[in-house]
Amino acid sequence: MRRVWAVIRREYLQRVRSRWFVFATAGVPFLLVAATAIPVVLASRNEAVDRTIVVLDLTGDVGPWVARALEEGGYVVESASTVAEERVRQRVESGEVGGYLVVDRESLVAGHARLVVNGSPSALRQLGIRQAVIQAALEHQLVGTATDVDQMLAGGALEVEIIAGSGGGTNVPAYAAAYAGSFALYMVILLYAVAVMRSVLEEKTNRVVEVILSSLSPWQLMLGKILGVGAVGLTQLAVWVILGGAMVALGLPALLAARPELGELAAITSGLPGPSFFAYFLVFFLGGYFIFSALYAAVGAMCTSDEEAQQAQFPVMILIFVPVVALVGVIENPNATLSVVLSLIPFFSPFLMFARAVAGAAPFWQVALSVALMVLTLVGVTWIAGRIYQVGILMTGKRLTLTELMRWLRQA
Amino acid sequence: MTDEYAVRLEGVTKRFSGHTAVDHLDLEIPRGSIYGLLGPNGSGKTTSIRMIMGILLPDEGRITLLGSDLDQTRREKVGYLPEERGVYKKMKVLELLVFLAEIRGIPRKVGRGRAGDWLDRLELGDWADRRLEDLSKGMQQKVQFISTVLHEPDLLILDEPFSGLDPINQDVLEAIVLEFHRGGMTILFSTHLMDQAERLCERVCLISRARRVLDGDLKEIKQRERTGVVAVSFDGPDDWLAGPEVMRQEAATGAVHLVLHKGADPRGILRRGVASGAEIHRFEVVEPRLHEIFLRHVGEQAEEGSGRAATGIVRVPVASSR
Repeated sequence: MRRVWAVIRREYLQRVRSRWFVFATAGVPFLLVAATAIPVVLASRNEAVDRTIVVLDLTGDVGPWVARALEEGGYVVESASTVAEERVRQRVESGEVGGYLVVDRESLVAGHARLVVNGSPSALRQLGIRQAVIQAALEHQLVGTATDVDQMLAGGALEVEIIAGSGGGTNVPAYAAAYAGSFALYMVILLYAVAVMRSVLEEKTNRVVEVILSSLSPWQLMLGKILGVGAVGLTQLAVWVILGGAMVALGLPALLAARPELGELAAITSGLPGPSFFAYFLVFFLGGYFIFSALYAAVGAMCTSDEEAQQAQFPVMILIFVPVVALVGVIENPNATLSVVLSLIPFFSPFLMFARAVAGAAPFWQVALSVALMVLTLVGVTWIAGRIYQVGILMTGKRLTLTELMRWLRQA
Repeated sequence: MTDEYAVRLEGVTKRFSGHTAVDHLDLEIPRGSIYGLLGPNGSGKTTSIRMIMGILLPDEGRITLLGSDLDQTRREKVGYLPEERGVYKKMKVLELLVFLAEIRGIPRKVGRGRAGDWLDRLELGDWADRRLEDLSKGMQQKVQFISTVLHEPDLLILDEPFSGLDPINQDVLEAIVLEFHRGGMTILFSTHLMDQAERLCERVCLISRARRVLDGDLKEIKQRERTGVVAVSFDGPDDWLAGPEVMRQEAATGAVHLVLHKGADPRGILRRGVASGAEIHRFEVVEPRLHEIFLRHVGEQAEEGSGRAATGIVRVPVASSR
């Protein structure tokens, strides 16, 4: 076991130390952090002035409503119904206030208003102000009725009661998480399984494999390689999750404090995946990674060059593509018989069963069954891959035919 | 463990689709000997060595190693330098050596110490923290050589060990191999360079076209292979050269070669020469060089083989390859 450990260690350290790994691992969160931080930084500059807005009320009526709606959106509002527009304009020009908003009769009827500012306001800011005007107008017109304008504008609520059929409906955030999560799984599983293949191939083309095989059995080498690369994958995922978590916990509140018009913290975080998402992700990542990396290791062992491997990996690629193509349909109809059957096929489970589980559509027994099937497949696949690996690893020069492959499986 | 042979092959055969790479090979390598496996390219040397190392499995026959056939013994007590050798180019020299020792069961700390000593000894100490890709081919080869002995094996198997090395480094490594030999290590190496085999080996096995053609102690082989040629150089009369023992005379550079009849005693010629008053500088029963023995046997076998199969490669019916 110490020997396998040495292979794992080498594979892990060589990769983790590489520039590519550091770049990808730190780069992705860095981009996300930058995406979060830049608006915060931009917003905090001249914040006090930009956030000050004068509401010039020509109706002498709706002004306070607009002011309140704007204040909810994080603006400092100064109402001026009687002052001449010229004087307010001068104050904007001198940079004393961020801008002024003119509301008139049109505002009450059509939600129309006029904003005067220095420099073009962002689309987001325009949207926030527009919504404030609409909300104020509606509230003003509907005053005295029992209408909850906030609720209405938020899109109302649809309560679904299902009489027959299993599983609940897919709610929107879960749908998105299932979709995004499946694609993320597809990316990382493919990325690391192909890394295993390249590593196998590299040892062959390097001619280093014979030295290694005089010290280790092919089986030990393959096992060490798969575990080593897998550990790299887990490290990368862990870094991403931790940084992502830190961003949500620390970065997001800071961002929202600076830009309240983006929305409310609770509303945004409720759409984020919870612990069960990550638990499923881990389980299906491991299952999918082990199955596909073993297959890719076998492909690498059968080939003698990168070009050859490009072609030889095609059958394995199909096993990954089918579920990706089926993904949309499965998420939309998570309880259709076809969806259930497809998601139970071990090669597809990492993507399809994951999606159904995250969307809350798969009963526990189906998830458990798919995991059990994946484990069985894993044993079978590694057994076959191990044999192909054992025979193929020393083969150089000529391309393998299918009949030869069958003979290997019988002989090895 | 009391086996007197370090390596023993009995009737070992390996077929690849369509041809036989090794055909019923018997090989006995005594413990502590330095043994040369000789043969032209494609004769089955590397395949034999790979089977000894357990990298290929023989189709027939039995291989025993250091009195045991366990994989673990093979991996811990044998050092192996394959013909097709490579390195992880992105790794640092010392890291690679420690790794290669570790997969043979040597703890990292011990491996690091030994690797450092060897690097210093082969004048690679300054390169320990450089990547392999920065090293020249010759340097890489020295690193590979070090990697085969870090676990202090009882048996060292070197497949074409010195190909591609300059004469100076070749001498350095040859000296180290001989030093191991004096220390009691069994050494098996394959080569197609006869001069090298002649310098280093105690025993040789000559294989050609998948079969063993000659095997044994190098001195004995040479004696057995004497063709009855006497090289003579002298000043003075030459009438003493002719006699009943001599079949014919041949001119050679700086000497005359006398080809004797089978079983003839050369001492009579020398006596006549002394009596004739000639000034004899050299009178030597010529031992054939390994190179000539090699050519003679490989040639014979080729002729013999031509009757069997045009290419000398034994075709195996497809059905038997199952």
